[in-house]
Amino acid sequence: MTTELKISEISANFAEGEQGKWGMAIDMDICTGCQACVAACAMENNVPFVGEADSGYGRSMHWIRTERFWEGEFPEIKMTPYQPVLCQQCGHAPCEPVCPAFATVHSQAEALNLQVYNRCVGTRYCANNCPYQVRSFNWRDYERPEPLPNQLNPDVTVRRRGVMEKCTFCIQRIHRAEDVAKSEGREVADGEFAPACAQACPADAIVFGRIDDPESAVSKMARGARGFHLLEELGTLPAVTYLKGG
Amino acid sequence: MTVTTNISLLAVFPDLEPAADAIDRLRTLGVPDDQMNVISGTPVTEAMLGRPRQWTNVPRLALGGALAGMIIGLFLAFATPSLYPIQVGRQGIISGPPTVVVVFEMTMLGLLLSTFLGVFLDSYFPSYRPMHYVPEISDGKFAVFFSCPQEDSEKITKAMTALGAEKVEAAEAQPL
Amino acid sequence: MASTATHHDHEQDHIAHLREKHLMLDPLPRGRMNEMVMESMHDTSWKFWVVFGILSVIVAVFLFGAWGYMIANGLGVAGVNRPSYWGIFLVNTVFWIGISHAGTFISAILRVFKAEFRRPFTRAAELMTTFGLVQAGFSIFMHMGRVWLSYWLMPIPNQRGLWPNFHSPLSWDLLAITTYLLSSTMYLFLPLIPDLAMARDRTPDGTWQKTFYRVLALGFRGTEGEWTHLRHAMNIFAFAIIPVMFSVHTIVSWDCAAATRPGWNSTIFGPYFVVGALHSGMGAVAMVLAVVQSRMKHMKYFIRGEHFDALGMLMLLVSMTWAYFFFNDYMVQWYGGDKWTQQLLHFHEAGPLGWMWFAMLIFNVAIPWATLWNKKWRSNPWLLFGVGLLINFGMWFERYIIIPISLTINRMPFTWRMYTPGVEIYLGIGTVAFFILLYMGASRLIPLIPVWEVQEGQMAHSLKKYGRETVVTISELE
Repeated sequence: MTTELKISEISANFAEGEQGKWGMAIDMDICTGCQACVAACAMENNVPFVGEADSGYGRSMHWIRTERFWEGEFPEIKMTPYQPVLCQQCGHAPCEPVCPAFATVHSQAEALNLQVYNRCVGTRYCANNCPYQVRSFNWRDYERPEPLPNQLNPDVTVRRRGVMEKCTFCIQRIHRAEDVAKSEGREVADGEFAPACAQACPADAIVFGRIDDPESAVSKMARGARGFHLLEELGTLPAVTYLKGG
Repeated sequence: MTVTTNISLLAVFPDLEPAADAIDRLRTLGVPDDQMNVISGTPVTEAMLGRPRQWTNVPRLALGGALAGMIIGLFLAFATPSLYPIQVGRQGIISGPPTVVVVFEMTMLGLLLSTFLGVFLDSYFPSYRPMHYVPEISDGKFAVFFSCPQEDSEKITKAMTALGAEKVEAAEAQPL
Repeated sequence: MASTATHHDHEQDHIAHLREKHLMLDPLPRGRMNEMVMESMHDTSWKFWVVFGILSVIVAVFLFGAWGYMIANGLGVAGVNRPSYWGIFLVNTVFWIGISHAGTFISAILRVFKAEFRRPFTRAAELMTTFGLVQAGFSIFMHMGRVWLSYWLMPIPNQRGLWPNFHSPLSWDLLAITTYLLSSTMYLFLPLIPDLAMARDRTPDGTWQKTFYRVLALGFRGTEGEWTHLRHAMNIFAFAIIPVMFSVHTIVSWDCAAATRPGWNSTIFGPYFVVGALHSGMGAVAMVLAVVQSRMKHMKYFIRGEHFDALGMLMLLVSMTWAYFFFNDYMVQWYGGDKWTQQLLHFHEAGPLGWMWFAMLIFNVAIPWATLWNKKWRSNPWLLFGVGLLINFGMWFERYIIIPISLTINRMPFTWRMYTPGVEIYLGIGTVAFFILLYMGASRLIPLIPVWEVQEGQMAHSLKKYGRETVVTISELE
């Protein structure tokens, strides 16, 4: 006699399909590790210069960094490809719920992680809980010797000591492009603008655009067989796709 | 009905036993329980003194405070997120588990605060007015205060002394 | 005849021995005990003031001075970095909250279970709770990048229209620690009222102390009504503060456990932290009692070998429970096989601070187990002081391993970097000094022994002959 096991169908409603709005694809196979993105980002976003000592002690404030590892024992060393790491603008961000002051929140309009500097009281819980370790904290009020203040980007807030900050996907550029498009009564075109890192990349390894548009360049790249997400197993739903293995 | 003037007396006893005897004796001498009060340096229950049960509002106030705390907790957990809805980490605007924590803490805070304040309310704390008091009670003595008609005072004083009162005298309010 | 006499002598010896051993069987007149407690407050040697002065300087320079310097210059002057965003600040927060748990444990749990040995030192333990929480508060505020805006975390209506984020474990922390600080202070104060009234009656008129006691005693006289309200309130407190205490350290543990980090995301952290808190707290109570007993006048009467014996047993029990939870946490994480957790566990034991991991196990487990099983040893105040001190180091190491050392290892090896404490060392020393300073100050102003509770206990205890043996009986007076 057989018993029929009636196991009701379990439907897993993972939000996997739910995508962000803006996204990025980074092709590690063509990245040369030139650090142009790091420099451009710092200029665009008024990231302070922390100096050698602090930088060496793990207090560099770059919103994007280029990771590279040596594998194996000297002299049998293999180098891993360069990997620019920036805020992944997670759809399911671990940094957001842990802030007691609502300083790091999810933007409904742009589907990005926002860091509201004015609300930040500096508990640094978000940075602890960021699996990508891409948040940087203003450990001090870093000096900007003359004439460097002239180079500050007026579109971006200058942060003071005690405040957490991180990559915004150059939200000021997103907004400007959206404003221009709106005034001209159209949608933002693919490739019309790019964040500073993508703009500066000489190898065009960083591509930025709408990931909710399947025809955009970034969506096409991200769909490719080489695409993967950083620490995908955590289920953070990053908006950044890396390409490797070509 | 004859008009009698009552006077307040106090009798100090060295121990619980004679104090309890004195209370019984006072009752037989016509002093009703609500005209008596015992002060002591250690907590003795009403049953030990053979006195009617003391009424206390503390448990009721505590419950009321717990309820108030819970309402504040519910407000914090359910209402405040809706006043300024902000999406974080794909959690709901109001998410379940944290509300439990918030409601629990506020309930307990309400309970304990109102218990504490209940003692103040019920005991009329703080009161720095002059009151009937005998400092010796903090050395373990028991003082029985009572008021009786003027004409009975001599009889009662004698009875109290016979039961071992160390002193029986007119009670005077004194600054604490 | 001779044998009867010997038996009688033996009996007398036995009774004398019992009286000498147990405070509750060795009653003194209440007036005498009051006098002793008052004298213990007033008998202050010049050495006290020297220590008090030194500690005041340390607090002024190390705590407030260094903190002011840090506020003015940013957290860069501390050692926190990426990835150890939380350093000794949070270690000290957890440590001090841990210390504060002992007071509630002793005065609430032991009161609920009617453990009579608690009576003379409930207040000494409760003072630790309140003063420990003050240090925890300092430590957590120091840790904040913009501490001047810390009121933004309070759930109060504000012009920004923004309420705190109750999704965040830190918001729960704020509610839980506030609740605990307020309720433990109230719980300290309620049984203190009769003793303050006693001190008021025994302080000469015209002194500032008289005014101090007069105001704080609230006009307490000891009427039946006052005692009834007080008893009911203390009973409610004793029961209700226990879940609050558990919730506080559980929520502190959730700061770690709710995070997506290897080594932190553990379901057992709640009870593990609570037991760890009791471990360090009990050790600290033993230390405080040893000092109080030897340095304050008449305290040898109130605090005796039996109290250290009982505390030592509790410490042993807590140490075993801690070892159980530690092993549970370790075992499951090790077996889980997650590569980052594996890295982390290896780093704990074999990393540059591996000695700390071994010291933690030796101080928290090996030494208590090796010493506290022996009744004679654990009745010795200075041995218990030593064990308590080591346990406190061990538990501090435990928190250091859980916070900065575990933060060193994350899922992005590119950011792995060691943490070297900076100014937070001085701030930590400052909190220790401030704790001792507050305690010393309180010992001059607050009757450290709840005299009325001791007397109540002495009234409840008596000797009874059961067959041929004289035994202790306790009547239930409450």
